[in-house]
Amino acid sequence: MNALRVEHLFKQFGGVSAVNNVSFSVEIGERLAIIGPNGAGKTTLFNLINGQFPVTGGRIYFFEQDVTALPTHRRAQLGQARAFQIISLLQNLTVLDNALLTLHGTKPSRFKMFRPVEHFKDVFDQAIHTLDTLDLGEKKDELVKNLAHGEQRRLEIGLGLAMQPRLLLLDEPSAGLTKEEGTDVIGIIKNLGSDITILLVDHDMEMVFEVAERIIVLHYGQIIGDGLPEEIQADQRVREIYIGLEE
Amino acid sequence: MDWFVINLLNGVSYGMILFLIASGMSIVLGAMGTMNLAHGAIYMVGAYVGWTVAVKWGATFGVGLLAGGLSAGLVGLAIERGLLRRLYKQPNEQVLLTFGFVYILTNLCLWIWSGWPRMPFTAEFLKGSFEILGRAYPKARVAVILIGLILGVGLWWLQDRTRMGAIVRAGMDDKETTMGLGINLERAFAVIFFIASFIAGVAGVIGAQLLGVRTSLGLEVLLLALIVIIVGGVGSIQGALLGGILIGVIDSFGRAVFPQLAMFTMYFTMLVVLIVRPAGLLGRKV
Amino acid sequence: MEIERRQPEQGRLLGAVPYVGAALILAIIPFFLSTYGEGLMTRFLIFALFAMSYNVVFGYAGLLSLGHAAFFGAGGYTVALLKLHYNVELFWISAPLGVLVATFTAALFGIIALRASGIYFLLVTFALGQMLYSLTWNVKWFNSPGMQGITGILLPDLAIPGFTLDTTSFYYVVLFFFGISFLLLYRLVRSPYGRALVGIREDESRMEAVGYDTWLHKYTAFVISGAFAGIAGVLFTYYNFFVSPNHFGIMTSFLPMVMAIMGGLGTLLGPVLGAGVFIFVENFSSIYFRARWPLVLGGLFVLTIIFAREGLGVYLWRLWARASHRHERIKS
Repeated sequence: MNALRVEHLFKQFGGVSAVNNVSFSVEIGERLAIIGPNGAGKTTLFNLINGQFPVTGGRIYFFEQDVTALPTHRRAQLGQARAFQIISLLQNLTVLDNALLTLHGTKPSRFKMFRPVEHFKDVFDQAIHTLDTLDLGEKKDELVKNLAHGEQRRLEIGLGLAMQPRLLLLDEPSAGLTKEEGTDVIGIIKNLGSDITILLVDHDMEMVFEVAERIIVLHYGQIIGDGLPEEIQADQRVREIYIGLEE
Repeated sequence: MDWFVINLLNGVSYGMILFLIASGMSIVLGAMGTMNLAHGAIYMVGAYVGWTVAVKWGATFGVGLLAGGLSAGLVGLAIERGLLRRLYKQPNEQVLLTFGFVYILTNLCLWIWSGWPRMPFTAEFLKGSFEILGRAYPKARVAVILIGLILGVGLWWLQDRTRMGAIVRAGMDDKETTMGLGINLERAFAVIFFIASFIAGVAGVIGAQLLGVRTSLGLEVLLLALIVIIVGGVGSIQGALLGGILIGVIDSFGRAVFPQLAMFTMYFTMLVVLIVRPAGLLGRKV
Repeated sequence: MEIERRQPEQGRLLGAVPYVGAALILAIIPFFLSTYGEGLMTRFLIFALFAMSYNVVFGYAGLLSLGHAAFFGAGGYTVALLKLHYNVELFWISAPLGVLVATFTAALFGIIALRASGIYFLLVTFALGQMLYSLTWNVKWFNSPGMQGITGILLPDLAIPGFTLDTTSFYYVVLFFFGISFLLLYRLVRSPYGRALVGIREDESRMEAVGYDTWLHKYTAFVISGAFAGIAGVLFTYYNFFVSPNHFGIMTSFLPMVMAIMGGLGTLLGPVLGAGVFIFVENFSSIYFRARWPLVLGGLFVLTIIFAREGLGVYLWRLWARASHRHERIKS
């Protein structure tokens, strides 16, 4: 069984093919990075996998289940978690509020209408525990918008992980981070177990080569390279097209 | 046969007024993302001022038309420049603000002109009727159709063929890039809002013969505009025109056949469109 | 913008004091008031409930609905029609049916309205409300013979032998339902569901990505909101002895909006405060002022939107908090 399998994915916006006949599969526990120049279709691809955009053609299989027509929240229930390119935490709410909301999302208690949210001790404790692990325990009553960018990124990824997903989609996690913060994120990712599959999109080549076991290169919506990091590095065509690939 | 034609003409002339009312609102909504609930109240201001100038002070209808349009335009501009601008990125707040102005404008009109409604009025040279298929048909109504068509063509030309129109359309699609290109979007917005309000004021004067002049117009006209926008779709002149004519004709025939149903035919059409095509018949996605 | 903070154990007990205090005041105040005063307090409670119901759909879920009076009117008209056509005066039949009809109307309208998003949602709720207005205006069955609206409604029959309601006891009936509604809504907004509504208001796509069926949340919020508006409408009909198509109209829809916004959205007490201020100022303004009252209201509303967006109540509370803070510092 593959964690993820996409077949002949197409996404068209008006006359533009953002994703053009993309097929690949991801093994359970694999760390796959998707790279490519700006506008290559990477975020669009994520939006198709995660359900924000409907596909124009093709199918998506998540752990062999056809999720092509499922809405995003169903895919989250099935085990997808995502960190967005632009940090999507709820800025006007506290860190703790964000944690509670995220953790409740995949629990049946999310629809409960009659008991205060603190009453659900297991989720509450899990939230506190998660925040402590992320070194944000002291800031739990702080509004998210008052946190530093690096802390927000850490929180977003951390909460995504706390959802205990089977597939983690990381969309440019290094964006806006300092070198140090970026190293922190790499550390977090590397410490993850093999029960979680990771899809990573990023421009930071250091992060990509540190983390990825396999790389797919996207260009104008099409796959032009798929293989081990060393192979991709050596691929002449990729180097021509994707300026900035480092030795 | 003549029954059919008369009702059709009634529907189209009513529809033209609906088009004029809705076009301003639709343009502002499409170009600026702002739902101006005070649009009906601005129409009302135009109607009252037009009446004062053309009837009370005895100036010609044309002057009344201009006065109505200008006063409405200025009121709209004042609202936009003075207040709406502060709420640039907050659409909900903008809507609420405009709604507050419905209250304010309605009561100002009540204060200035007091509560009794004014008689419908129209231009001197338009009094009297043509003969159509053996029946007398008011000249004024025919004039409404013509004016509506002219303004419609004018607005369409403005939208599709001028630089201002292109700016508006670009701004609709991508504000940041448009501003980045050095185009003064703020000024464009002010102009658009003024034009939309001006048209509303003109519509108020022309529409006085059909809708009258009274303080309840603020909400009545708003409702009509909303129905037309829902049916025709947002953001284009064509949508407002199609919506207006369609509603006008349906309403006209509806009243002729089932007088006790009154506004129901309009609501029914609106519901059907909402269920089948929520974005409106010619709507772009807002 | 969390005003209702979670409090530690002893703080929770302390936090209940103002609520208990207010409840006590509300309970004993009729002894100090004339019949007219009681009527005014009744009116206040009814509109406070109406405003609180609006707070659920707009303050918490973030859906700007312009047709909330539809459910208020639906509840009220059910009671009135049962009296008009079937001479039903029994509270235990009319009231539950009224709330049921209001809830059903909200369920129906919600499906139509939620096909639209953002600005469109607004238009649709407005138009739907006006549609009901038009219906009750034009169709004879919805009116007492020869007039607009339905008249002749009396205080309800509670089917308690030997007991008929008067103004004072009706006040307590209203207070009872207000209290229950308040408690229910209080629990609702603190529950995971209620917190989810806030999340959806802040960033719907994030909430989707995290697993929430946002459409369902919005829809149920809309229906719940309509149900409580229906309760207010039922009580209002008994209070007013008369219903008219205006009770479906935009001006009636405007009332809970103004009260909730000026009192403070996103808090449960805000709308209650807003309703209180509105009702009492409206009542005590002088004759001349009365005619210009809507103008003043409109102006205040506009100012609130621009400068005190979170509600005058919240704004004043913050000022007071800052002032007492400064006082503390000066003292030490």
